[in-house]
Amino acid sequence: MNTDGISEKKEVNREPSVHLIVFKLGSEEYGIRIEQVKEVTLTPEIARMPKTPSFIKGVANIRGDIIALLDLEERFHIGSPESSTEIVKEKQKSYTLVLEAKDFTIGLLVREVPHSLTIPISRIEKTPSFIQDLQINDNYIEGIGKLGDRLIIVLDIHKILTFEEAELLKD
Amino acid sequence: MKSREQEYKEIFISEALEYFDALNRHISTLEKNPEDDQILAEIFRLLHNLKANAKAIGYLQISDLSHKLETAFELVRKRELTFSNEIATILFDGIDLLGELITNVDDPNYKILDESLIHNLDILADKTSSKNLTEVSKAQKVNARNLSLSDLIYIQIKKLDHLLNLVGELIIDRDRIISLSKDLNNEDLKSVSSHLYRITEEIQFSVMDARLVNVGSLFNKFPRIVRDIAQAEQKEIQLDIIGQDIQIDRNILQIITDSLLHLVRNAITHGIEKGADRERKNKPRQGNLSLSAQSDRDNVLIRLSDDGRGIDIPAVKKAIVARKFLSFEVVDDLRESDILSYLFEPGFSMAKEVTEFSGRGVGLDVVKNAIDSIGGRIQVHSEKDKGTTFTLHLPTSIAVKGALLFEVEDGYYAILLMHTDSVVSIDKSELHEVGNMLVANIKNETIPVIYLREFLNNDDATMNLGSKARLNGSVQNIIIVIYNNRRLGLIVDKLYRQQDIVIKPLNKPVDNIEIYGGVTLLGTGKVCLVLDVPAITRYFIVKK
Repeated sequence: MNTDGISEKKEVNREPSVHLIVFKLGSEEYGIRIEQVKEVTLTPEIARMPKTPSFIKGVANIRGDIIALLDLEERFHIGSPESSTEIVKEKQKSYTLVLEAKDFTIGLLVREVPHSLTIPISRIEKTPSFIQDLQINDNYIEGIGKLGDRLIIVLDIHKILTFEEAELLKD
Repeated sequence: MKSREQEYKEIFISEALEYFDALNRHISTLEKNPEDDQILAEIFRLLHNLKANAKAIGYLQISDLSHKLETAFELVRKRELTFSNEIATILFDGIDLLGELITNVDDPNYKILDESLIHNLDILADKTSSKNLTEVSKAQKVNARNLSLSDLIYIQIKKLDHLLNLVGELIIDRDRIISLSKDLNNEDLKSVSSHLYRITEEIQFSVMDARLVNVGSLFNKFPRIVRDIAQAEQKEIQLDIIGQDIQIDRNILQIITDSLLHLVRNAITHGIEKGADRERKNKPRQGNLSLSAQSDRDNVLIRLSDDGRGIDIPAVKKAIVARKFLSFEVVDDLRESDILSYLFEPGFSMAKEVTEFSGRGVGLDVVKNAIDSIGGRIQVHSEKDKGTTFTLHLPTSIAVKGALLFEVEDGYYAILLMHTDSVVSIDKSELHEVGNMLVANIKNETIPVIYLREFLNNDDATMNLGSKARLNGSVQNIIIVIYNNRRLGLIVDKLYRQQDIVIKPLNKPVDNIEIYGGVTLLGTGKVCLVLDVPAITRYFIVKK
């Protein structure tokens, strides 16, 4: 297989590929299939919602839809690389990725503008089994994409919020 | 507003025209396929209904003609008359005449042009002469090619729901524009926005009006139901229905349908005694049930009263203790209304003691939930051997609800006026720490009080609702909410105004968090959470 610089070449198109929206959480890059992303917008004013887990930052009005906004860094317990410095802590997560799943719409808060990226399916490895075995955060990782020296963690939005967590929210 | 008679008339005409169209369709099919029994049966059914409807409303010409056509078709059905060309023509003419009668029902000067058509039908229907159709005279054609469309249209509720949602959005945007125009202080914008206000107000009113139906559309189903249940229970029951004209949102009526049925069934099976028992109590043999509707400002009160045995309070008390809701000592001190409110507790319904002695516990929690879900209230009043009355306070419309807006720690919240009893400001010194709660003596009643800031921001482990030290400032603003006869005070940081709000439901995954009933958008564009009073009250009952 002709693997070098494959992303530049036309014949790549013949291979099935996925279009991802890529964003950063902590120091790693994460991706979500573009079909699942409704829009990327500046984070609107958030109404805090008491009595919800801390990773739910509240609800906001996005084009008439009231949707819940999630902080995935908190959800996955990912520390920001420079989180020790107060300045970064204060820094707003100023972009919101609106995701549309089958039966719900949620927003993810991110710091930098997400960008789009096409990656051949063959470049996405299934989650290494030992990570699955470790049951890190309930297998919310669909696979790991590799493009040059970049590593993109592809998320499965249906699993970002597991059933148990959704149930837990009730109380 | 139209009178009921006028409304019935319009409904009749629109239905009749529909029947007329269907008859024309069927008879054309029948002409091609005269042996089709199914079509014949359908024609028969349509004519029969038309006859009954017309007779009920007093259009005797229409009912007579339908009757004649019905007879003729019966003969066709029994194969005593063949659906020949000649006969088909007569029947077609008859149906055309029917159409003409329906469209001219309101015209006092209308006269049937040619009576020979009716005569022809008489000949057809007369068995003895049915073989001899020579008598049939040429009838003058009625002017049947005069197509007319009904003035009434049926709309799917789904479409109206959608329209109502859009109006909700429009109102939110309108409020926003009005508040912007005040901020910008631009005269043109101000006048445009006040015009916008009036128009949206009217649109909203029209849409809500389109959704209103008579309570009678539900009430009128009950005579039959009551009769059936009474017969099964071998009881004699007289049902009085009052206030069928009162109008209410169709969806609200839909939501309470099961509840009302449940209450009626309960009243007959458990409330009203058997004839002999009633006589022993010096009551008339026949039990009385009354179903009434009444307008009360923005609400509709629906009341179901029976003159049965009433709810057995001591039995309910026993059940409260047996279910471990309260201790015996506490129950003994409760007021009657408080005791009755336990009937609506989930789980209480299963109490066998109650079903045996008074039988009013079954499924009342379900009834209550349905009524809560539309922001209504239910009250029960009962007197031993005199009877029981359930009163349902229902909103007339689901769209816009009055709410009280307030602030807790920079967040905006709303509580529906429906659930608020009053608003008071009292000094911190008037609050007392009792157990893990604060209480205040308000209008001679001791009311538990919750500091919302504490309640909302701390989880159960760190929450300390019984501490006055956590309160800010000396004067406390308290909203007293009422749910199921229980009063609860909520201390808020800042009180705003009363406002009509449009509640939007929360979406997954935050839709099932109990304490929120939804959200609303304020004129400023801010999101305001609507607190669910029943859920908050329940939270504290369960905790205790």
